[in-house]
Amino acid sequence: MWSVILLIFFTFCIGLAAWLLFLWSVKSGQYDDIEGPKYRMLDDDNDKKK
Amino acid sequence: MLKCDHCLLEMTEEKAVPDTINGQKKLFCCHGCKGVYRLINEEELGEFYAKRDSSWIPGPPDEGRIDISAFADIVKQTGNESEIDLFFHGIRCASCVWLIERMLLKTEGVKFARLNYATHKAKIRWDSSLVSLEKLLKKVNAIGYTPKLVTRGGSDEFTKARRDLLLRFGTAAFFSMQLMVFSTALYAGYFQGIASGTRTLLQLLSLLLATPILFYSGSPFIRGSITGLRNLNFNMDLLIVTGAGSAYLYSIYQIFIGGEVYFDTSAMIITLILLGRYIETGAKARASEVITRLLSLSPKETRLVIRNIEGREGSEKVEMVPVTDIKEGDLILIKPGERVPLDGTVTEGSSEVDESPLTGESRPVSKHQGSEVFSGTQNLYGSFVFEVKRRGEDTVLSHIIKTVEDAQARRAPVQALADRVVGYFVPAVLTLSFITAVFWLFSGSALTVAVMNAVSVLVIACPCALGLATPLAILTGTTRGASKGIFIKGGDVIERAKDIDTVVLDKTGTITEGKPELAAFKGLGISDNETLCLASSLELLSEHSIGKAIVAGSAGMQAYIVSDFAAYPGRGVKGYINGKPALIGNKNFIESEGVDDMLSEELTSWVHAEEDSGRTAVYLSYDGKIAGIFIISDTIRGEARETVKEIEKTGSSVLMITGDDNKAALSVAKEAGISEDNVAAQKSPSEKAEEITVMQGKGRHVMMVGDGINDAPALVQADIGVAMGRATDIALESSDIVLMRNDLRMIPETLRLSKATYNVIRQNLFWALIYNLIAVPLAIMGMLHPIVAAIAMSLSSLSVVGNSMRLKRT
Repeated sequence: MWSVILLIFFTFCIGLAAWLLFLWSVKSGQYDDIEGPKYRMLDDDNDKKK
Repeated sequence: MLKCDHCLLEMTEEKAVPDTINGQKKLFCCHGCKGVYRLINEEELGEFYAKRDSSWIPGPPDEGRIDISAFADIVKQTGNESEIDLFFHGIRCASCVWLIERMLLKTEGVKFARLNYATHKAKIRWDSSLVSLEKLLKKVNAIGYTPKLVTRGGSDEFTKARRDLLLRFGTAAFFSMQLMVFSTALYAGYFQGIASGTRTLLQLLSLLLATPILFYSGSPFIRGSITGLRNLNFNMDLLIVTGAGSAYLYSIYQIFIGGEVYFDTSAMIITLILLGRYIETGAKARASEVITRLLSLSPKETRLVIRNIEGREGSEKVEMVPVTDIKEGDLILIKPGERVPLDGTVTEGSSEVDESPLTGESRPVSKHQGSEVFSGTQNLYGSFVFEVKRRGEDTVLSHIIKTVEDAQARRAPVQALADRVVGYFVPAVLTLSFITAVFWLFSGSALTVAVMNAVSVLVIACPCALGLATPLAILTGTTRGASKGIFIKGGDVIERAKDIDTVVLDKTGTITEGKPELAAFKGLGISDNETLCLASSLELLSEHSIGKAIVAGSAGMQAYIVSDFAAYPGRGVKGYINGKPALIGNKNFIESEGVDDMLSEELTSWVHAEEDSGRTAVYLSYDGKIAGIFIISDTIRGEARETVKEIEKTGSSVLMITGDDNKAALSVAKEAGISEDNVAAQKSPSEKAEEITVMQGKGRHVMMVGDGINDAPALVQADIGVAMGRATDIALESSDIVLMRNDLRMIPETLRLSKATYNVIRQNLFWALIYNLIAVPLAIMGMLHPIVAAIAMSLSSLSVVGNSMRLKRT
């Protein structure tokens, strides 16, 4: 019984973490441009400056 | 043909501006392009030219000027750090995004620069003690991108709404996933037995997870159904809330009496419907960008001319004022490169104006006293003053924006079909559930049993896949279209496309290639070669498409030097070769220049025969004598005949409409297999639209296919407008479907695809409802088990998804 409760508690924590990560990613605007990044990854960064 | 190394515009060798950059010889169409090329190379961003792909559309840089003061207001300042959100005009491909970002990041003081490829919006953060905003914007403007204010909140609000929807859907999805884990355990327990303590624990956990889904993710539905109920309207929202809500409450009750719970049903209904809504907004997002782009066409500030200040005769001053302060009758000064802010009539000065955003006509239109100018068009060369006639919502541009907005606001009628089904479905289910309660009461059961059975009818009847049925089919249908090069702008287009019974084709550029070719020529008095050589030397300097055809026909020939070249639009060209006058043009032009154009009878009948078969004859004269005849043809597309047959096979009739004369039109129609009665010739752009209105008046559903230039009004009027090939912005907006390849065979393809998509939508609605309806009798008999609810839920979802995926293979 205790192992079940423990496992449930773990899945809860993992799920919660994933949900918080999702909330953060939406709020920081990562879903606003879903078209651009696929081109962006093809750009080589020649310049060191960031 | 040579191409400008910067903008890829085609040009002649005489006009090319040569330059040596990094030891390589480069050619440009103008000094502007040369300057930009140098600038980009000096910034060590020359890689741009290797990066940009074939999708680059050639065109000269936008000459719009920037007014820094307007941007200063929207800068957000925190200490030394400034931040601004703005919109860049002139972005054509992903390389532009790269170029602008790099250009900014290379500047000292810039900390962050990111451009949204889809919306063309940029966010820039910089240290204002190191660099000024003015310098940054000028830098980007210098390479041809114009910064603009993010106009009107419309698009922003939309982004916010979409983000909100994503948050609600995402939350629902995460919690549903967790919930399903416990539900699976409960299902297993149902079959294999489960300790009642464990079961209660799992049920309580399910309750904990289902609560935020219903009350946070589901809150728009709850609000929607309350508004619906107030108007006695049984809408989709009500169905969702009834289904999800009753499953939720029923399950809470069941926890207490130790029965089976249905939290998963409640959660999945909301999750799947939110997914459907999220898919739908994706298509709308693209449409709202079009509006942002249109709005950016009209400037915010303009030069107001004030005359007779304080009664002094002849005094005058020019002031920059916000466009909103301008009244009808005010005089406005427009300088070269500026955009016209409002509609009006020119009172002084003359210029040429690029009206392509409104009309699709790529050639500049000349404006002089008395000409009408329109908001959003761009002044090219001269300055002029105009009197404002229409402002605000009345301008032509505002009307276009409104049309696009309206088009967006209306929901897909297919969705209306789903809503109609729901309109009958909800009352039916409610009645059925009421009857169930009454039946159980009269058969002598306790009140709780009767109510529980009635509620279980509501639980099972709510189809969670219903919300997915339409958007998913439209999504797969439009994606399938896109992979074939057919861009369908929304679900309502699919609904209308299935009714199409008349397809109207434009002649030039649609049935024909739209590229004139030199079909035949004859020298008179001089050798054929010599004739061609003279003609092409002269036409090399001309911009006319017929001239280009002659030049193309003389590839590889040495050209003569031409002096004193002059073009007479619509008539011909004139120049001097070896000191003697040379002319090319139509018959009237040659005659009016005093050339004797008497031809032998044999030649005259040859020319007439050619003209009868839809070709054009132009004449060359040299040294006052007629020297040659050129026959120019616009070849009909190879697939035209086959396409016409294909379309007719789908049950639609094919018509042709053109601005050209009857003779040319009939010969093309004959070749394409279109019957003579179905040809309308000599129609102006507005007459083309009228022609379509007449057909619609007869109850026909018309699809108009055009190449975009001057077909715009007809494209809007038709039930479905199809733009072919590389159309201008306005043509793209006027049309509902855009064909990316210049291939006529895509038209029957489009018709087939929309019909298939519509059928799938209807089938989806059926599959979404059927399993639940089958399970309803079980609920009425009080035999509903969670496993039945789960099976109905997953089978209907799987059927809808699977059925939609079939579209991928059409």
